[in-house]
Amino acid sequence: MDQDADVEESQEYEESAPPRAAAKAASPQASGASGETTQYLTFQLDDEVFAVDISKVREVLEYTNITKVPRTPDFMCGVINLRGSVVPVVDLRLKFGMSRSERTVNTCIIIVEIVQEDEVTEMGALADSVKEVMELEHSKIEPPPKLGTRLRSDFLKGMGKHEDQFIMLLEIDRIFSTEELSIANHTLS
Amino acid sequence: MAVEIDTSAFTEEAYELLSELEDSLLELEESPEDQELIGRVFRAMHTIKGSGAMFGFDDVAEFTHNVETVFDLARNGTIPITKDLIDLTLGARDQIRAMLDAAAGGNAADGANAARIIAGLRALTPGADGSPPAAAKSAAGKPAEKEDAGPHTFRIRFKPHGDIFANGTNPILLLDELRELGDVRLIPFLDDLPHSLAEIDPERCYVSWEIFLTTEQGENAIQDVFIFVEDECDLNVRMVDRSEALAEDGPDKRLGDILVERGDVDPEVLEEVMQPLGERLVRSGLVNKGKVEAALTEQQIIKEKRESKKQQAAAQSVKVPSDKLDHLVDLVGELVTVQARLNQTSATLNDHDLQLIAEEVERLTGELRDNTMSIRMLAIGSTFNKFKRLVRDLSKELGKQIEMTTAGAETELDKTVIDQLNDPLIHIIRNSIDHGIEPPDGRSAAGKPSVGRIHLSAEHSGANVLIKVTDDGRGLDAEKLKRKAIEKGQLAPDAELTDKEAFQLIFGAGFSTAEKITNVSGRGVGMDVVRKSIDALRGAIDVQSELGQGTTITLKLPLTLAIIEGLLVKIQSEFFVLPLAAVEECVELTREDVSATHGRHVINVRGSIVPYIRIRDRFEVEGDPPEVEQIVIAEVDEKRVGFVVDDVIGQHQTVIKGLGKTFQNSEEFSGATILGDGTVALILDLQKMVRFVEDQEHVEAGISG
Amino acid sequence: MAKTIMTVDDSSSVRQMVGLTLKGAGYNVVEGVDGQDALNKLKANPVDMVITDLNMPNMDGITLIRELRALPAFKFTPIVMLTTESQANRKADGKSAGATGWIVKPFKPAQLLGVIKKVLG
Repeated sequence: MDQDADVEESQEYEESAPPRAAAKAASPQASGASGETTQYLTFQLDDEVFAVDISKVREVLEYTNITKVPRTPDFMCGVINLRGSVVPVVDLRLKFGMSRSERTVNTCIIIVEIVQEDEVTEMGALADSVKEVMELEHSKIEPPPKLGTRLRSDFLKGMGKHEDQFIMLLEIDRIFSTEELSIANHTLS
Repeated sequence: MAVEIDTSAFTEEAYELLSELEDSLLELEESPEDQELIGRVFRAMHTIKGSGAMFGFDDVAEFTHNVETVFDLARNGTIPITKDLIDLTLGARDQIRAMLDAAAGGNAADGANAARIIAGLRALTPGADGSPPAAAKSAAGKPAEKEDAGPHTFRIRFKPHGDIFANGTNPILLLDELRELGDVRLIPFLDDLPHSLAEIDPERCYVSWEIFLTTEQGENAIQDVFIFVEDECDLNVRMVDRSEALAEDGPDKRLGDILVERGDVDPEVLEEVMQPLGERLVRSGLVNKGKVEAALTEQQIIKEKRESKKQQAAAQSVKVPSDKLDHLVDLVGELVTVQARLNQTSATLNDHDLQLIAEEVERLTGELRDNTMSIRMLAIGSTFNKFKRLVRDLSKELGKQIEMTTAGAETELDKTVIDQLNDPLIHIIRNSIDHGIEPPDGRSAAGKPSVGRIHLSAEHSGANVLIKVTDDGRGLDAEKLKRKAIEKGQLAPDAELTDKEAFQLIFGAGFSTAEKITNVSGRGVGMDVVRKSIDALRGAIDVQSELGQGTTITLKLPLTLAIIEGLLVKIQSEFFVLPLAAVEECVELTREDVSATHGRHVINVRGSIVPYIRIRDRFEVEGDPPEVEQIVIAEVDEKRVGFVVDDVIGQHQTVIKGLGKTFQNSEEFSGATILGDGTVALILDLQKMVRFVEDQEHVEAGISG
Repeated sequence: MAKTIMTVDDSSSVRQMVGLTLKGAGYNVVEGVDGQDALNKLKANPVDMVITDLNMPNMDGITLIRELRALPAFKFTPIVMLTTESQANRKADGKSAGATGWIVKPFKPAQLLGVIKKVLG
């Protein structure tokens, strides 16, 4: 994958992310008669493309110094200082059972807002690179296959297709549930 | 005139007064002869009544008036302070509260209950037959005025007594007021003036007047003008016919009348006569002002010293909404963080001037922080007082006799801590009343006084506050607790526990040893909630109990939750903060020390053996330790424990940030803080860490042995 | 220059009510939370008139009136006490302590201003 291209795409995201209304306004044309669409932020882990519902995304940060919290699973990178709040960061590659990757200039932390035990909280997701904001028609999203993905099916909302590439739409609240984050804690201790 | 009045001022105050009222009543029950307390109760009701009526809470005012009337009898000793009276008055207090709640949009207050309370109170009054006391009083006073049509002329003889000025009365103003009633003709009499100037006492009034007033108003309106000076003057008001007006009067009056008619003596002139007089009075008074004031000040200082601190505080306090305070604390927290950054930057730049400024800012920030924290400190007394009512009501319900005593009510704690302490303490006290204190016959059989005791105390202990709930009840049965826990599968049948550990079982979820389930406790909820709440406050619970003698539950709580003094340490490239309050000293740990103890994690600190925990190992930090490590010796659970780190950086103002639910299982950290360079450092919970390591070593020892 | 009146009452709602009324009528208002507080403040800064409650902690209204009257600066200052109908005898106590007049609680703003006019002008 060409790194320069990635950088451009992530910048494009930053420009297009705030005016969500404008993107929405354009949607009838894009979606045609078949109905509603949802916007997703796509990002890359290894050579696979994942996506999260854009309404969950608060911001995308450059990689920053992360403080490891001892005696937590490997996928828990630790905590960062986000304008005075302490926000946990999860390495999605490790959480999904992929190998650890080297940090590059494209490595970034996607800050998402999730609901954890009825509390709205912020979490960071470490990704290799951010790609773009795209729109997917609901009708084009298929339910997650039970087999074939290396991912647990309950981590997936569904699968979309974009320019011949499969995009895995993540169930981010599920992945970042305390249950999910603490199960691993127990197994480790 | 229209004045917009915000009724919230009243309701807020009324709620406060009700809470005071409750405290006073409960105290009064213990010392029914205390006139000061009776006065306080009376005053609280009096104020609620008075302000209530002014702010339009007529129902509250009326109800309170009825209660106050009866309590007034108690105040002047006509009826004694009895338990019935206290019961009823407490009921009345609750009723007033219900009425206020209703006015604020809550459920409507129970009117029948109000009537019951009033009837009950009236039955306590002498010669009571349940009928309301003479209601005519308020209606009395003004007999119907006979108002003839048309204006009438009155002759008013107004002769102030010589000492009328002493009450601050200015007779001129009364004359002015008469002028507003109608057309006035006024004749001053100066014949009482001493003939010799030397005899004139400038503080006495020598003037009297005769006034002819033609007005539409009746005689009562004229009497009302002089209502304040009835006893300080001779007043004669008579309606006169125009025709007879001058005929029957003496020569003085005629002269005066003429003088007035001519305009030779008019009110302005009179005022000028009075004015210099008044000024001279003040001047002559001022001669001794300094001396008098000095003496009074001296007296004042002595008085003030005698007054209790509480009263002083109450008199000078300012109310601030707590969210403003929370915001202030947040801001101070941010400032402390920025200040740390400033310190770091100035140290890096090595600029002398900047360092001086940084030091100054550090000093100010520290003071600001201490000050802000102290603002949030509240005495725990108000919380204690709430429990008096709880104990009273519960013991009544359960047929037990319990006396609650308190100590250290003035002990101050962070407001947040106090707020969150309420529920756990309720559970503990309920538990003591229900399970701890025996019924009176049971107590007598055990050779104890029939009245049980619950003692609630608070005291400072370093950076902590100890809150103790002590009862002299049956105490905890360690064996029974163990059996119960084993039955419930919460404890392995062969588990060996010390009594102290067994006592901790009561904090397990769903654990209750009560043989029968009562209304009060015994549903197996409560004590586990206590543990959770206290953990959330970063506190600790200790239970001491002697079978048959009683139980003491001690809560150890931090003074504040927002900012602590920390000790910043480093391991490899990671920073951690240890609560400085627990730290006793730092000593070096060399490779020789380690080999001298054959790898056992203990060190000899000036003759005493202190076990230590290698944080590096515990946290699986990669890399090699330095040649000489540092051991931070701290007191944890009353034992000395060392914590081995690479380097001790120094004291650090630590603004505590929560780690959130994601790390709820990482109990060895009580939170995180942001350092000067913006990175995050974790704050260690030493107590938890020691417990984990002990558990682990226990398991390991078990496996190897 | 506007005249200054001190209101003394341990009830903040009464102080607020009286204060608003007086300020609305163009007077300057200072407050005392009880007799002691008022006495301390008044010694430092005399006023043109004092309106005081009778039932207060630390120092009651009667004592305050007596103490004030003993001060040269307050020898002739109008002092009005706030009473209730149940305190008929207190009225007499107040008068003998040197009160200029009284206002019966509860009162309406207009009544209050009427009394002030009577004693202060």
